[in-house]
Amino acid sequence: MTRADKIVVALALLLLPFMYIEFWGNSSQGEVVQVRSVNSEGITLPLDQDKQLEIAGALGSSLIEIKDRQVRFIDSPCQGKQCITTGWLQKNGQLAACLPNGITVQIIGRDQRFDAVNF
Amino acid sequence: MAGINALRTINHIFSSGHHGAQCAPYAVLCLILFLTGCEQRPLVYQQQVLALGTLVDISIYGVDEQQAAKAVTAVTNSMEAIHHDWHAWQPSKLTYINEQLAAGNSISLNKEQQQLIQTGISLARQSKDLFNPAAGKLIALWGFHSDERPGTAPPSETDIKVLVKADASMSKLTLDNNQLSTSNPEVMIDVGGYAKGYAVDQAIDELRRMGINNAIINAGGDLRAIGAKNDRPWRIGIRHPRQAGVIASLETQGDESVFTSGDYERYFEFNGQRFHHIIDPRSGRPAQGTSSVTIIHRDASTADAAATAVFIAGPKQWRETARAMGIKEVMLIDATGTIHMTEAMSQRIHFEFDNKTTKTIIVP
Repeated sequence: MTRADKIVVALALLLLPFMYIEFWGNSSQGEVVQVRSVNSEGITLPLDQDKQLEIAGALGSSLIEIKDRQVRFIDSPCQGKQCITTGWLQKNGQLAACLPNGITVQIIGRDQRFDAVNF
Repeated sequence: MAGINALRTINHIFSSGHHGAQCAPYAVLCLILFLTGCEQRPLVYQQQVLALGTLVDISIYGVDEQQAAKAVTAVTNSMEAIHHDWHAWQPSKLTYINEQLAAGNSISLNKEQQQLIQTGISLARQSKDLFNPAAGKLIALWGFHSDERPGTAPPSETDIKVLVKADASMSKLTLDNNQLSTSNPEVMIDVGGYAKGYAVDQAIDELRRMGINNAIINAGGDLRAIGAKNDRPWRIGIRHPRQAGVIASLETQGDESVFTSGDYERYFEFNGQRFHHIIDPRSGRPAQGTSSVTIIHRDASTADAAATAVFIAGPKQWRETARAMGIKEVMLIDATGTIHMTEAMSQRIHFEFDNKTTKTIIVP
């Protein structure tokens, strides 16, 4: 092996963990919050920027908060308030929904382990 | 991005070194590695829609975006039509049918209506009436014929007994040509136990007619998957009934439905006691002993009904009921957390967490 060969091999080995994380890892980088409503266009927001957002739904407007890489419903004009009791969403794929108001909030990452989740 | 920077560094070393020409193939190799890395992530068109009173997640692979978007709109509309036509408590075709049955009249049904009712009759028969879509009055008595049941008292023992004794079952329905009638006016049809599966089956048929052979329709956690994405099977996670996160995963084979019935899906609480929505027609009360049942089966209607029937059958009788309904792959998690499953199911699923402390019983 020449010196260049060794450098290439060493570089390839160094690159391996990086590539593994990049292509197969459950990276949380680049996660976004997707807010969908029956009454308006969906909105996609970065999870790492704190923000409060009011969005119009079927019954009225719901209030959604993004804080410290988490997102939740603060208020919604539904009866059961299940969307609020769901609490903070933190992980990729987690979802909170206010079905009466037709609004969903989900954390979407770049790499989802599953194509679908059964429950 | 960082990959490109790394390549630039490699190129820099090559161009400044003495052995640049000899090393060029390595650079090409590195480049190919990165390219294949990108290509292995197939492009799946994924969209969530509100339909069937829940969130429906549609994934489509292998067609262009325009065709996928068109398909999503089409199947959303047909699922909404089924939901609307067969709604149990808002005025619908079904509430009309129930009114006529209660009055002792016979009703003429169109092809689609006959198909849905006939499916219900045969699924109920296979389950020996543990799956009982004729027991709509019991479901209504428990207050589950509303979007959100308030936490008021459960029905009285007397009222429950009266309805259990009334013995409303699908076998009391007669479908003669297109005429539906019943010998028992206590029959009130509620297709809630299999309409979701039926709608998913219809949606999959519609996708196929549109030339889509790789897709998942996931209706609020119950799904049917066809085909694969780029030679790789669809990967499905099964959510834990008692904790956050996924308990197990599986890869679908060709054309399969995965349905779960759980006591956590719909319930109300009264005086600190929890009452879930899966009513055992024998006792007239929420079925005891089971926390969730997961079924893998080809068609979604059968998987949907079987998940309910096996849930009601409970940890002692589940195997018998599954066999009677022709279901091979079953997992039941009982109220104590013990996992019961068929051997066929144990070969399909992969536990996603350390389950050494969980008692697991595998039966042939």
